[in-house]
Amino acid sequence: MSAEVGEQTALGRETRFSSALILTVFWVLPIALLVMSAMKTPIEFSSTSTLTPPSSFNLFDNIARAWAKGMASGFVNSAIYGVVASLIAVVLSAMAAYGIVRLRIPQGMFWFLLIYSGTIFPFQMYLIPLFNFYLDTGLYDTRLGVIAFYVAITIPFCVFVMRGFFLTVPWQVQEAAALDGANSWATFWRIMMPMAKAPLILLVLIQFTWIWNDLLFGLVLTKSESVRPIMVALAGMQGVYGASDGPSVIAATLVGSAPTLILFLVLQRYFVRGLTLGMGER
Amino acid sequence: MTATIDQNLAPALRRRSPGRPLKQRIVPYLYVLPAALFVVLFLLYPMVLTAWRSLTRFDGISDPVYVGFENFSTLFQDPYFLLSLRNTVIWTVAAVVFPVTLGLVFALAFSRVRWGGFFKTVIYLPATISAAAAGILFSFVFNYDNGVLNMILRAIGLGDLASRWLFDVPTNTFAMIATYTWQQTGLNMMLFLVGLQGLPPEPIEAAKIEGCTGWSLVRRIILPMLMPYVVITTLLAIVNGFKVFDLIWVMTQGGPGRASETLAVTMYREGFILFNQGYSASIAVVISVVALAFSYFYLRSVLEQEARQ
Repeated sequence: MSAEVGEQTALGRETRFSSALILTVFWVLPIALLVMSAMKTPIEFSSTSTLTPPSSFNLFDNIARAWAKGMASGFVNSAIYGVVASLIAVVLSAMAAYGIVRLRIPQGMFWFLLIYSGTIFPFQMYLIPLFNFYLDTGLYDTRLGVIAFYVAITIPFCVFVMRGFFLTVPWQVQEAAALDGANSWATFWRIMMPMAKAPLILLVLIQFTWIWNDLLFGLVLTKSESVRPIMVALAGMQGVYGASDGPSVIAATLVGSAPTLILFLVLQRYFVRGLTLGMGER
Repeated sequence: MTATIDQNLAPALRRRSPGRPLKQRIVPYLYVLPAALFVVLFLLYPMVLTAWRSLTRFDGISDPVYVGFENFSTLFQDPYFLLSLRNTVIWTVAAVVFPVTLGLVFALAFSRVRWGGFFKTVIYLPATISAAAAGILFSFVFNYDNGVLNMILRAIGLGDLASRWLFDVPTNTFAMIATYTWQQTGLNMMLFLVGLQGLPPEPIEAAKIEGCTGWSLVRRIILPMLMPYVVITTLLAIVNGFKVFDLIWVMTQGGPGRASETLAVTMYREGFILFNQGYSASIAVVISVVALAFSYFYLRSVLEQEARQ
């Protein structure tokens, strides 16, 4: 860290360390206490204080109950949506950015802005027509429809990032490939995509997380348990069982939050870099 | 020889051979069109339609009836909308004041402390889970009978303060803002840490030699240099705070009644529960106009910051 803040006397250091520690403990305390609740049986949960540790370990029973009560399909659906939609979006976006930057499509800026304009408006701006469009075309409440929308909504940001990447690739690479007789398709898959591995992986991670965490579009585009994504399933469970079976709803929410949390912990370094992508830094 | 060269790949060679075959000229479009089609069909077309629907009376079933700006003039006489607008302003202000200020404080506090990396990670973790999940978890924290918060208050002898956090107005909005703060602070902290990392060390070293340390170093040297990041983070917080939906939907559904709705929730309720779709579209337009205005300032600050580097 180049910016050094404050003086480094021993006392100052210790004060700073302990206040940071207290703040952090305070930050995780609510969740730590909820983890205790997630281990209790529903009866113990409603008859004892949330501050008392559990008398027995029922976390896995609670997860199993939640899993059977509608969480399973949500979890599987969102895993499919997250993986399939983010992969399709990233490939299509890389292709589009390649066409705009590397193949110099006429009016490249127009095409870029056309695609990028998809991120400018708040989500509320397309909810209603989208819902009606989905009803009319039979896409409503189908996995295909959900995937198609998640692909569309993640494309603009991916194109933005991939365009930035392709601008940095030297032209000699491409001209050498052309002189060797490679066509644009072979060049894209064999030369450009391998070079772009880092931003591609980063984008898949960011978009998977976004899709996994989405509630709004799941609410609008699905209704049945077999299609709805995880966050809609959790919100539904909270409404139905929140009062009668708190521990299983808490356990389900913790399990449902685990994938994106673990992804972040494992790939922290990439994520922090990704955070600054939107701010125009690389 | 030239005939076998893909001229799309080598624009330098393209110039020497005018009159590319049509087949070559359509190739770039084949790459760009799939992505463009997705965006046009699923995002741009619905957007345009929303703008049109905001000028109609439409229940989602019978044909929309053009009514001009009637929906918009109704909005400002609708007590639900006005209440929702007031809540949205509270949310937007709070979304700046708490998560951004705390994010800045944490970034400064953790930038040079033992275990700094660990502290940063822990504070950031809530930002990796969804707003919906955070909302569900905190609705248990704020539960009246057995919620963690009331239990702690009772345990330390402040039982009188125990309340129905999510059912009393306006307490429930503040409870939700606290949850939002818990979730968003880490994100803002990270943005400030990126900013701090980019500061030139020389002015700070010079100030230290002059004997400027601690709070005065922060106030006189670091904060002024960090200002562009403060502006960017604040504008981003405004845009996000203005559009908040998921958290409210899982914590109160805008209730009791419609007392804690924000514009995004009102728009959803009008459109998908009450099926006043034309009216709902006009709320969407209001949200978009305001969000766009702030997004414009946000993008301008980002571009300025980029140009500075």
